[in-house]
Amino acid sequence: MMDSATVLTGLNLGYALCTLALTTLGLAIVFGLLGVMNMAHGEFVMLGAYAVVVVQKLGLPLPAAVPLAIAICGALGWAVERWLIRPLYARPFDTLLATWGLSILLRNLVEAIFGKGYQNVQSSAAAPMAFLGTSYPAYRLFLMALTVVLMLALVLWYRRSNAGLKVRAMTGNPTLARALGIDTGKLATRAFVMGVVLAGLAGVLLAPIVRVEPAMGVDYLLNAFFVLVVGGLGSLAGLTSGVGLIGGTQAGISSLIDQTAGYAAVLVLSILFLWLRPQGLYGRR
Amino acid sequence: MAAASSRPALSITLRLGGMRPWVAPVLLAAALVLLPFVGNEFLAYQIGLFLLYGVAAQGVALCWGRLGFLPLGHALFFGLGAYLSGGILKAAQADAVWYLLLPLAALAPAVLAWAVARLVFARSYHSGPYFSLITLALTMLGFLAANRFSSLTGGFNGMTEIPELPGLDRYGAMYWAVAALALVSTTGLTVMLRRPIGTLWSAISQNEDRLQFFGFATDRMKALAFGLSALCAAAAGVLFAPHQGIVTPQTVGFLLSTELVIWAAVGGKASPFGALLGAVLVGYASSELRDNFAYWEVVVAIAFMAVVRFLPDGIAGFVTRLLNRGPATSAQISAPVEAAPAIFPASRSSRAELAFDDVYSGASGIAIINGLSLKLSGPGVRCLIGPNGAGKTSTFNTLTGRLPSQSGSIQFADQKVGRWAAWRVARLGIGRKFQIPSVFSQLDVRDNLAIALWANRLHGLQSLSNRPKQWQTPLLQELLNLFPALRNSLDIPAGRLSQGDRQALEFVMMALPEPRLMLLDEPCAGLSPGETQRMMDAIKTVAQRLDAAALVIEHDMSAVERIADHVYVMHQGRLLAEGSLAQVQANEKVRAVYAGGHK
Repeated sequence: MMDSATVLTGLNLGYALCTLALTTLGLAIVFGLLGVMNMAHGEFVMLGAYAVVVVQKLGLPLPAAVPLAIAICGALGWAVERWLIRPLYARPFDTLLATWGLSILLRNLVEAIFGKGYQNVQSSAAAPMAFLGTSYPAYRLFLMALTVVLMLALVLWYRRSNAGLKVRAMTGNPTLARALGIDTGKLATRAFVMGVVLAGLAGVLLAPIVRVEPAMGVDYLLNAFFVLVVGGLGSLAGLTSGVGLIGGTQAGISSLIDQTAGYAAVLVLSILFLWLRPQGLYGRR
Repeated sequence: MAAASSRPALSITLRLGGMRPWVAPVLLAAALVLLPFVGNEFLAYQIGLFLLYGVAAQGVALCWGRLGFLPLGHALFFGLGAYLSGGILKAAQADAVWYLLLPLAALAPAVLAWAVARLVFARSYHSGPYFSLITLALTMLGFLAANRFSSLTGGFNGMTEIPELPGLDRYGAMYWAVAALALVSTTGLTVMLRRPIGTLWSAISQNEDRLQFFGFATDRMKALAFGLSALCAAAAGVLFAPHQGIVTPQTVGFLLSTELVIWAAVGGKASPFGALLGAVLVGYASSELRDNFAYWEVVVAIAFMAVVRFLPDGIAGFVTRLLNRGPATSAQISAPVEAAPAIFPASRSSRAELAFDDVYSGASGIAIINGLSLKLSGPGVRCLIGPNGAGKTSTFNTLTGRLPSQSGSIQFADQKVGRWAAWRVARLGIGRKFQIPSVFSQLDVRDNLAIALWANRLHGLQSLSNRPKQWQTPLLQELLNLFPALRNSLDIPAGRLSQGDRQALEFVMMALPEPRLMLLDEPCAGLSPGETQRMMDAIKTVAQRLDAAALVIEHDMSAVERIADHVYVMHQGRLLAEGSLAQVQANEKVRAVYAGGHK
């Protein structure tokens, strides 16, 4: 029988990896499949978290934040794809900058409305339950399970569904896909909206257990980028190994030395990958 | 062109591009001198800060607006310069010898930037957005380091109590040092953009591959430009330390990096003036309005998005376009002419001896070149024919470093070139023309021809001189006589030429570096019968004039018959037959392949 300290360490690592994966899923679609370097990804996570804040201020039950976040991120994502990103698909640097502008806009808008400080989210998320001979917050366990389910669902969608097939056709050869009667414009819009809604949902789910503030998005953005860069785009194996490498490095070095060193190690690792293996672990080029 | 050149002089003076080069710097100098008198010394102090940021933004604009890659972490070099300068100034309090090290505070970050870019671009010369992410990660590392090593940097609170530069009062005379730096960097960059190096920078952003096939080591040129842009940022940082008296980790951080990009974008990333103006206008307005108007940053963000979406060249580009309405005029009609120097010895002395020996190459597991052996010796025109997918273009690709050979050897002029970079092969005297003409579409025909003339001729320092723009060779004149349409379109962007003229332009450009071996991939594709005839004549003429070999991929057998004494037939990645056209046409195997018989 494992002792409870080992179980706890394992659970904490698993939890760290799962939150990383959760916040990466949306970008895995937007950047991984559409090739849009969405610098506002973290701000969509932030919007999701603020949906929880709003719901709480209105005195509604927390799950009401889910439809709210879907509505806000979906509508915003649709408008952004339509007016900002679609005209810039052929200009990668400009897409990057336009979404960067969007991130500044969202951050400052939220700051102007809600103020700069942290928002308090009341919840029972810390309530522990017995698990494998130790006690662990039930909400974290729920989150881990949900992340795994979401990832599997996404893979099934991508590999088995009609829409997934069309998306694969589009990323493989957009011109040919159009010639075969696939409306790539509409498809790209849908995929983009799906990506940012997933980011928003991640924000909703994380809101009870992280600090909610206007500038919270930057870390999620960069970590998600680094995961995708290290793992390579467009595959589950890449995504999981990217999460493992980035999350594992951060957790490992952090526990050995400190948080800063852990983050520095992630940066160094990412630079090495960007430099020497920009196609990622599994990518071919 | 005749009509344009006879327009009155007025339209010339109205063009910013054609404006006398000294006008803009003089205007800037006048504005900088007047500022402390029109405003007051404190205003000059405040503006001084944004002039420094503006110089750093000019570095961003150089890479992004000219060379086409976006640095997202320029604050790293700005902040590094500031920390080094702060440390040196503090040390100089005890011992004045330290002042001698101050230039190093600007040079060291520039060298670091050059080294980083050199390594990254050497690995993959068009690293694009990945290079941006690397610079971003580097600036965040810098931020962590500045916080962490507090004994050196003062940590989170910053390096404080940095003394002034000797004799330069922070709120007084220091402004003149800042203004001088802004003037020097603006003028310097503007002058460089008008010199050959500036033309080459623009060419890199438009068609880097084409430059490589002219023998330009674009990865090294980009690394040098990145070093120069970091020098701008670092020099500004060096003055920032004594100007502000404090350097905090924010000066190397992510946020300042983003602001530099925004300023460059809003002001105008294509011009040094634009970037400087952007920093001063947006930066100063932000510092004044940020605290009084909650939605100010929102306004800036919207303006930034609008600029990215609708005004790719920012305010400066917009103003320039307004001023430039009206027909383009040529400022160089009566430019003096000087004979171009001889091409580099390595290319001049190599003999047209090519040998493929059992070469294999492929991509993703599919063999494209499959045991190719082929010999070519001495001058003369040959043709390379074969059905689609035979590996003709891939043969060119393996020879010019675009498709690495996996086994076997490729020799040209006694050098094994199998895995060389494209530019090294080009320096040996191999010229290449593509099936789809590859030119610098936004540069005018004159600049396109000039770049081709510089290929294998231009030494490093010459790229800073004006004289290479006046180079001429007898071959250029002869080719322009063969293709008079080009002579009449010297001031038109190459992208606006018709397909036939573009084919002609690329062929002329390919010939100007006087290659020993010319690789011509369907030079007559899309040409009318008359144009085809002229192209064939031109190929023969150039091969004779240069005493060079030519290998022409061609499907039109009547054209083949007209120019080539020797024909290679390829099939399924290897040589099927060779000989005169009559011989290969009589060959049973060749007939089978072309008639679609058995394999």
